[in-house]
Amino acid sequence: MKQFWLIFLMIIVFVLNVDFVVAQNYTISGTIKDATTNETTVGTTIYVKETLQGTSTNEKGFFSITLPKGTYTLVISYIGYKEIEIPVELNKNIKINEKIEPTAITKEAFEVVGEKENINTTQAEMGSVELEMEKVKTLPAIFGEIDILKTIQLLPGVQTAGEGNSGFYVRGGGPDQNLVLLDGATVYNASHLFGFFSVFNADAINDVKLYKGAMPAEFGGRLSSVLDISMNDGDMKNYKVDGGIGVISSRLTIQGPIKKDKASFLMSARRTYAGDIAQPFISDSSKFKGSNYYFYDFNAKINYIISSKDKLSLSGYYGRDVFVFNNSDDGFGLETPWGNAIASLRWNHIYNDKLFADFTAAFTNYNFEVKATQDQFGFRLYSGITDWNLKADFNYLPSILHQVKFGAAYTFHKFTPNNAEVNSGDVDFNTGDVIINYANEGAVYVSDDWDLSEKIKIQAGLRYTIYQHIGPFKRFNNDALGNPIDTVVYKKGETVKYYQGLEPRLAARYQFNSSSSLKASFSQNYQYIHLATISTVSLPTDAWLPSTEVTKPQFATQYVLGYFKNFAQNKWESSVEVYYKDMKNQVEYKEGALPKDDGGNNVDNNLTFGRGWSYGAEFFIKKRVGKFNGWVGYTLAWTKRQFDEINEGKVFYARYDRRHDVSLVFNYDISKRLVLGATWVYATGNALTLPISRYFIEGQIVNEYGERNSFRMDAFHRMDLAITLKGKETKRFKSSWNFSIYNVYNRKNPYFIYFANEGSAFDGTLDIQAKQVSLFGIIPSIAWNFKF
Amino acid sequence: MIKYINLFLIISSILLISCEKDIEIVLPDAKTKLVVEGNIEQGRPPFVMLTKTSPFFSPTDINSLQNSFVKNAIVTVSNGTTTVQLQEICTNQLPDSLLPAIAELIGVNLESLKNFGFCLYTTLNPAIFGEVGKSYTLSIQSGNEILTSITQIPSLVLPNKFWYKDQPGFTDFGYIWFELTDPPQIGNAYRAFTQRKGKDSRFIPVLGSVFDDQFINGLTFDGVFLRGKELNSKAPDDLAETADYFQQGDTIIIKFCTIDQRNYKFWDTFEIAAFNSGNPFSSPVTIQTNINGGLGIWGGYGVSYDTLVAVDL
Repeated sequence: MKQFWLIFLMIIVFVLNVDFVVAQNYTISGTIKDATTNETTVGTTIYVKETLQGTSTNEKGFFSITLPKGTYTLVISYIGYKEIEIPVELNKNIKINEKIEPTAITKEAFEVVGEKENINTTQAEMGSVELEMEKVKTLPAIFGEIDILKTIQLLPGVQTAGEGNSGFYVRGGGPDQNLVLLDGATVYNASHLFGFFSVFNADAINDVKLYKGAMPAEFGGRLSSVLDISMNDGDMKNYKVDGGIGVISSRLTIQGPIKKDKASFLMSARRTYAGDIAQPFISDSSKFKGSNYYFYDFNAKINYIISSKDKLSLSGYYGRDVFVFNNSDDGFGLETPWGNAIASLRWNHIYNDKLFADFTAAFTNYNFEVKATQDQFGFRLYSGITDWNLKADFNYLPSILHQVKFGAAYTFHKFTPNNAEVNSGDVDFNTGDVIINYANEGAVYVSDDWDLSEKIKIQAGLRYTIYQHIGPFKRFNNDALGNPIDTVVYKKGETVKYYQGLEPRLAARYQFNSSSSLKASFSQNYQYIHLATISTVSLPTDAWLPSTEVTKPQFATQYVLGYFKNFAQNKWESSVEVYYKDMKNQVEYKEGALPKDDGGNNVDNNLTFGRGWSYGAEFFIKKRVGKFNGWVGYTLAWTKRQFDEINEGKVFYARYDRRHDVSLVFNYDISKRLVLGATWVYATGNALTLPISRYFIEGQIVNEYGERNSFRMDAFHRMDLAITLKGKETKRFKSSWNFSIYNVYNRKNPYFIYFANEGSAFDGTLDIQAKQVSLFGIIPSIAWNFKF
Repeated sequence: MIKYINLFLIISSILLISCEKDIEIVLPDAKTKLVVEGNIEQGRPPFVMLTKTSPFFSPTDINSLQNSFVKNAIVTVSNGTTTVQLQEICTNQLPDSLLPAIAELIGVNLESLKNFGFCLYTTLNPAIFGEVGKSYTLSIQSGNEILTSITQIPSLVLPNKFWYKDQPGFTDFGYIWFELTDPPQIGNAYRAFTQRKGKDSRFIPVLGSVFDDQFINGLTFDGVFLRGKELNSKAPDDLAETADYFQQGDTIIIKFCTIDQRNYKFWDTFEIAAFNSGNPFSSPVTIQTNINGGLGIWGGYGVSYDTLVAVDL
């Protein structure tokens, strides 16, 4: 702990030192807002016409530039807004609070990825992508359910786990290695219905940013990526209602001022009703009466501008999936609710023109539960994770050449992995103690975006993390058959295991000219939590686990090299990135482990540990603007794993290893009212393990499996189309129809393969047939969206 | 209990599945492995069936099944003091009284057993007949391959009582209920079979035939047995909606066995693998064999028998 504070202190000293060096200059700072809604605009470019140096507004709409004394012209520009120029006589520190107005024409058009011109070639960091929600909304979506996670999966280097799966895999990393943040709070399970839909209601989302390369030092705790999602603030001037009615769900968002220009609110709700619609068709006499499935989400946010220097916001999310199954035939009933509850409180404070801060207190909880009853038997399995999190992030702009970020974070984790309760009548079976794990996680960081020269820019960061697994905790030492030999008991607050690590992050850019650059990055990350998956896909049953004396923290090193080139006045962007990522202390269940082995045991007693590594190349070309815009991404990649106790110690491909992955995304504005969106994806088939021989036990066929993941399913490819037709606009009311066709050419993509055995070997009628199951054929859907 | 979760997953997947088609798959050649299917009960000779694995898509007629039998192996069983080499005997050479036990071992009905004839390794030497409490070491030499295993016939644990009860919503159909007091030490495991007089030709494992005391150690509790069926049975009562139930009026012999932990792990993983077959979400289950150098099971059973006439009181 001493070390922790020492480093923190050093960071502060470092920052203050820099301050002394640049004390001669003056600072221009302020916030940029949308003139119509009074909401801050993220990523607005502010540059100095004379020197061509510039900056952009941060997540809070704040910017700051420090320059030597002189006369300058500031240019403020933001896509879809009128550009403004402001002459400045700089002989003292100046505040500029500007409002920018949307342009009539560009409001109708939208950018594929809403970002500043040139940013891809000028910034040092690589592999960060921002999605503009307006654009996401015109892309095709299954059942018309707009889904940002599905859009993320269309980017190079980001892969799906298969059809209808929201879990995403970044550069060979598992779905647990992505940090998903909603207004600063961690989202542990970002999907509904086993991953067919994401938990993010598009109407409530303002901004989505993905970091897949070297993540900035302000983020940590995960190996592969950060998906930073911010909710809409709520309109400060007018009340607004957005809604949509779709085939399987409806949603409604209300926002408006609580106090004009001072405080605003936003509430958004969504619920599916496919299962409810089916209810009347399940007759009263049906044995399945009462069975249902639905999910719902609720988002809320309150914003309060206390002063020009202080802003408070409180965000919340609550969502649940509920699956109820009844079969009166055998008296079987099952109910499984699961979902996230998330809250965060943020305070933005501007100390002065050069220093501003963000303080966040967040709570997040993910729970899964199965309750089953049959006759007098009852069964309950539950697992979950709860985090309490405090964060302080500082942004310090000592000069136009530096952007310094520093801060600290603390998280208290509570893990409840796979606990079961079983009873028969009044007798409670002894399923062991309820096992709950507690851990502290802390981090301090500092980073600097530094323009070394006109050509060279570096982003250097250092993150130091500590982790402490604390009691109460019971370690079960078991024999080879899993029967307990003895237990070690740790008292409340006692340290079970302590880990710490330094995580250097370095990204550098060399700019050849205004339209091309070469970038390289190196990063190391620790991850102290693990997701153990016993099945072949991510399921809500997967339990989050802490690092313990048995499970060591995951550790990744990533190297990336990229070349970026823009064409035709930045209308076209292109890039090539190559990467190598090494991941240590990866977890898998031991071969032959069963979920029930976790009962009354430490889950990590059933785990085995190994190494993963991946490498590949990503090609990306994008047309940013114009009637016809979109992108093409291609990834060539290898993802491998090696575990001493799996596959006889031999190297095997990860299940989501994809040699080829192609995404085509297009938007075409046919007219002012009509937009066509199209996507096409192609991916090498999933790797899977298949039986290669068989034998008989008690007359039943038993499969003997081949090497792990040594077989490939057929390639996956699919085309989707969407047409958005905007209704006649009135001043008060806007509406649009969205027609989507999922899987236009009705490709039967493999979802899984199984072997059907029919007949009996003993009468010579045995027949074994491989069968491939596909999920979705062509699915047209329609949704009506409105706004007033 | 895990079966409930799996059921939940399977139901969910069925709700979502839209179509399936037959596909052709080319699988790599696999190395042949030896498979043991052997057991020993108190008062009975050891039975060992030795076969080999076949390529997954190889022909599946009765000849190829009989061809998979491994001849000329040296098979010995030892109880620590006595070691006996088993003989290769075909079913037509054995006394009729032993046939039901072999039908049970191989998992066929008595009729098929008599029709086709199977060969296995056993002995009629009573010096190696099973005894409660003893461990039995199996050694097999076949060509260059050597297989070994050890199993125990654990002490008997007798259920306190059995009874029959109609299932709510049904008349005359229900499960067999039992009350069991698990001994205080951890590690007890059980396997159960039933035979309906006049209906079944052999003892058939109940559905989910094994359990251990992981969650019930030292407890007295009630449990149920769901009726097991002959594989691919075309019998009307095995195809009926009530196939998992016993019928009121049935006379049922219950064979309740104690087994050791390795034997339990094998049958537990075996039954889960069979249950998971076709479940898209499950990883391939590795069946935990207790045979060193091969596959399959060498299992000791401490057997007790009870007869229950199914009457809902």
